Parts: sequence; C-alpha cells; structure tokens
Amino acid sequence: MYFAGVDIGSTMTKVALMDRSGNLLSTIKGPTGPEHRQLANEVMRQALEQAGLRIEEMSYIVATGYGRLNVPFADRQITELSCHARGVSSLFPNVRTAIDIGGQDAKCMKIDKGRLTTFAMNDKCAAGTGRFLEVTATTLDIRLEDMGDIASKATKKIQISNLCTIFAQQEVVALLSRGEALENIVAGLHDALASRVAVLARRLGIEPDLVLTGGVAKNNGMVKAMKESLGCQLLVPEEPLLTGALGAAILAKEVYLKAVTEGEDLPAKSRRLEKATFFG
Amino acid sequence: MSDKSKGLSKAREIYLNRSQRAKELKAAGKKIMGYPCVYVPLEMLTAFDLVPYQTCGDMKEPVTEADRALPSSFCPIMRSCLDCALKNKNDFLDGMVTVHSCDPQEKTARVWESYTNYSYFHFIDMPITVRPEALEYFKSQLGDFTKTLETFTERKLSQDKLKSAIKSHNQQRALVRELYELTKPSPPRISGTEITQVIKALTSLPVSEGNDLLAETINEVRNRIDGPEKKPARLLVWSSTLDDTDIMQVFEAKANVVMNESCGGIRAYRSAVKFTTDPLEGLADYYLNEITCARTFRQATPGETSKDYARDLQSRFGYLKSIVKEWKINGAIMLLVRYCDPFAFEMPSLKDYCDSIGVPSAYIEYDYTIGALAPLRTRVEAFLETIAQ
Repeated sequence: MYFAGVDIGSTMTKVALMDRSGNLLSTIKGPTGPEHRQLANEVMRQALEQAGLRIEEMSYIVATGYGRLNVPFADRQITELSCHARGVSSLFPNVRTAIDIGGQDAKCMKIDKGRLTTFAMNDKCAAGTGRFLEVTATTLDIRLEDMGDIASKATKKIQISNLCTIFAQQEVVALLSRGEALENIVAGLHDALASRVAVLARRLGIEPDLVLTGGVAKNNGMVKAMKESLGCQLLVPEEPLLTGALGAAILAKEVYLKAVTEGEDLPAKSRRLEKATFFG
Repeated sequence: MSDKSKGLSKAREIYLNRSQRAKELKAAGKKIMGYPCVYVPLEMLTAFDLVPYQTCGDMKEPVTEADRALPSSFCPIMRSCLDCALKNKNDFLDGMVTVHSCDPQEKTARVWESYTNYSYFHFIDMPITVRPEALEYFKSQLGDFTKTLETFTERKLSQDKLKSAIKSHNQQRALVRELYELTKPSPPRISGTEITQVIKALTSLPVSEGNDLLAETINEVRNRIDGPEKKPARLLVWSSTLDDTDIMQVFEAKANVVMNESCGGIRAYRSAVKFTTDPLEGLADYYLNEITCARTFRQATPGETSKDYARDLQSRFGYLKSIVKEWKINGAIMLLVRYCDPFAFEMPSLKDYCDSIGVPSAYIEYDYTIGALAPLRTRVEAFLETIAQ
C-alpha cells in the first residue's frame, strides 16, 4: 500500500512517495517549466524509479499546487494550503502559523491540530513572492542562490520603498547608479520582501510555533529578514520545498485509510503515466 | 431569441444577449434609459414610460478604450462599464441616469457624459449617511430628477403612474425574494449561476416583462426535477457586484451559493418601497435607507460619540444574521473587487461580525477579469477545505 503527493508549483514540481506507515520512500524536485502538463508524469516516473515502485502499486495519489488539475493520474486534488498545513505539522507538531513563500505567491496559514483553519494569500502580483528576488537578482546580475550570502555582508540598512517588483527594479537601478554597495541593496530587498509577507501574517495573527517554507526559505538572508520583520523565532524544515508534496502524500494516505476503515468504495483508477493533453 | 423559450432558458438567452430586447423596444419607438447602479430609482423611469437598462461591465472584454479616460488603478467595474460604452455597446440608449453611489461612480459619470452623446444625462447626488437631514436632501434630489425627466419627455409626472410603477417594482422585489426562497432547500432548487442569469436579465427588461420572466422561472423551478446537485457547503457571497456566471461557477464547482448579497444578487430586492402620500418620500426612504451597500455610512445611533463595536457591527451587518440562519449558510465569502474602497473597509468588520455569529468567512479579491479566476479558485477551494473538516 503506497501513496503519493504531487505538488506542481509555478516554479518547481515536487513528488513524495510514502508507505502506509508514513515512511518517505522517495522525494523528487524538478523545475516545472512552461509545459507542466507534460511534466507531471516524468517527475512521477523518476520518483517511482528511486523508490523501486510501479505506478500500479500506488493506492492513492493527491495532486496539489497551482498545476494540480494537470495531473491525470491523481485520484484527488487538494489545494496547496491544506497540503502545506498538513506537511508542516507532520514535521513540527506544535506549529500554529506557517508561512510559505513560493515563486508565484506567498501564503500564511493558521494551523490547529495539524489542520488548516484560516489563511491569507498575497494579491495577484509578484510583490511578496520569490519572483521579487528572482527578478531583482537578474537586474543586479547575480545568482538567486547567492543573494542570501551577499545580503549577510551588508554594512547598512537600505529602505527599498517600492514593493511592486517592477518599481523596485527601477529603484535598485537608481541605487546602483548612486554608487550604493551591492550587499546593502540586496539586504534591503530581503527586508522589503520580508515586511510585505509579515503584513500578511499579521493580518491573521501570529502564534508560535512559526514555520517558514517554500523555495525562499532556503535563502538564509531571507530567514534572517523574516525573523527581524516578525520579531519572533522561525523554524525552517530541512527541505522547505517539499512540505506541500509531503502533506499531499499524508492526506492521500489518510483519505485512503479512512475510506478503507469505513468500508467506503474508492473508485478504482486505472493509472497510466502519460502526458496530459488538452484534448484527452 | 426563440419564441418557445421560457423561464430559465429565456433568462440564459437574455443574459448572453442582454441588449437585444432593449434594441427591439427602441425600434418600436420606446426610449431606453441607461443606469449604472441599483441606487437609481427605476420606478421614476417606469412612470415616464422609459425603459430602464442597467449598463454593465463585461469581464470577458479586456479594458482598452476606458484607459484613455480613467486611471488604471481604479474600480475595475466602472472601467469595464465605461469601456463598453466607449466601444459603442450601449449606443441604443436615449439617455443615462447616474448617481453618486460611490466616488468612482461619480467620477466616471462625468467622463461618461463628456465622451458620449445622449440626449439626456442626469446625475443624482445621493447622500452618504442615513441621517434624517440626508433623507430630506435626497428627496429634493428626486424632485430635481423629476423635473429633468419632465423636460426630456415633455410630460408631467403622473402620480397615479408613479404609484403603479412602485407597485410593479415592489412586485418584482417580492418575486425575486420568492425565487430566493427556492435556494433554502438542500440541495437548492436553483443554482447561484442560474439566479445570476435571471437577475442580470431583469436589469435589461421593462419591469412587467421582468415580472413575467420571474413568474415563469419560479413556476419552472418549483416543478423541476433537474435542479442543482447537493454540494458540501452552502455559501453566502457578500460583494459589491457579482454578476458574472464564470466567477459564480468558480464558487459553485464545489459549493452551493444559496445567497448572493450583491448588486448582481438580492441586494436591490430585499425589501419594498413603502406607499406614502407623496410617493417620492417612500422612494427616497427605500433607496437611501433600505439598500445595504457599503457605500452608505451606518452606525448604531447617528451622531453618537461613544464606542460600542458590537452595536455598530449590528447596525451595519445585522441583516445577515437571519439570512445565515434561514438559508442554513455554513460559509461566507467576502468577495472584494480590487480597488473598491467602500467594500474593502468593511471587510475586517464583516469578518468580526461573521465570527460573532459563528460563520466561517474568507476574504477573496478579484479584479473583474476572467484571467484572475485560477488564483481565485485556489482560495475558494482552500476555504471550502477548511470548513469541510
């Protein structure tokens, strides 16, 4: 009896495979790319290969993330908010507030006994998301993954007043032309993003334990800026990208086992690892 | 429009081709009067034998023309409405009645007037509070409105015709409430999507034709066997305007929307105009006091200086309590159209009110374009997951 969670985010696709005792058998991360409809099966194939399993052995598969409807072999779609909440609380049982900063959105979740209770998400724009750093890294001609280290060398606080990604980009150019040191600008960008996300969290009310996930949580500079902005301790999982897929796998297991216990019939799904098509 | 279609299918056809009937009536010699918002007293248009036609936006039409006249960070509904007007989609109108329901409406009215060329244009200055002085002032505004209509139609206002118009429009309100009675059962006998089509059809028809459509629809829905499926949640959507089926379907994919408290739903129909000796008095009272839009400032006791948040919330949102109970609502969506300040400012208080009556609520924003529907879907589904646990 095996379960899978497939999380198709705007930037990265993540898969987690799990057995009935909740042991993780394999996890895979890969870029989503423009054709995520074509990719879910490929990432799933890799995950199965790593675990030495076949698709037919999967009892239940939950798809999540913004591409969740493009996973033809999934049994059910559950939003990334519920999946993150479940995944995070499996790693940190005392979590009450979780913040996930992804490539396309930022979400703040309140969690009670492992379940999502309320949430807030950023508006439909790049401000307050990983894209904010990605875009400004390009403007500064530095690598996204180096941003945290560069920020740690800052010698003074710089206020980036524009939270709009496009206008912040202009502001960065203006700062550069004024001769401002790169590390100070990069630290300022981290602070700007952190303050934007912190507002989202405050709208819901922050309760400890507080956990930060998503690709942005891999950036130490960002973790530091978030701690300062929120004024409290912040826990970060070892693999902050995987909590959505992990939660999806756990929910797959729970949904399936509950149905089995209650003698409910889950419609059998004939699974084929194929590319999704628009007309299929 | 096929001759045979009645009730729901007729409403759907009108929804998809809203201006057709107005154009037919225009060809038959009637005068068509546009209005942008539920605050325009339609009874007065009907009394002058004018056909009221609500000028709506179009979520599927990218805003291009309105951008030369309005700022882009501005009410998307008004931008879309004006855009449609500038693209000559309302060129069958003989006139336009606008109203200061909110600032964007007022500003757009001025732009609208200068960019279009109707033979009649009138602006009603609607007070923003429900104080007694405001009511007096509003009544005088309706007096001015009467005068310009008299000049335009070259006719005196007939009190009998006005009284009979009030009766017909009250009948329409009662019929819409009757239609909403049919969302009380579980599953509801009519979907939120279908009601959206019916109400949007009503706002494009003369009142008598609208009443016929409602009567047919109610009869059909009562006897139907193909009603909506039962979904895990019964939702109230509270918004400025929710008048598009694409967005309604985002909610109805996984829930039953049993109450749409917005200008695309029950808002203009929840109560009735009182019959007063001077009919303008009843009309002024209804439009100022009875319509519950966030544009009006309400407080527990006008002029009171002490702070009593619970009573204040009651005066602003108290009407929702019985709706929640009677329609067995288990989730409220507070749907904000981006840049809509009057509704945005109500959201934190409305959330507190929903908490106080034990209804889970979610604040969701959209920008009146269909491109925004995917993120909207995630927020709606996540909310439904939290209330399904």
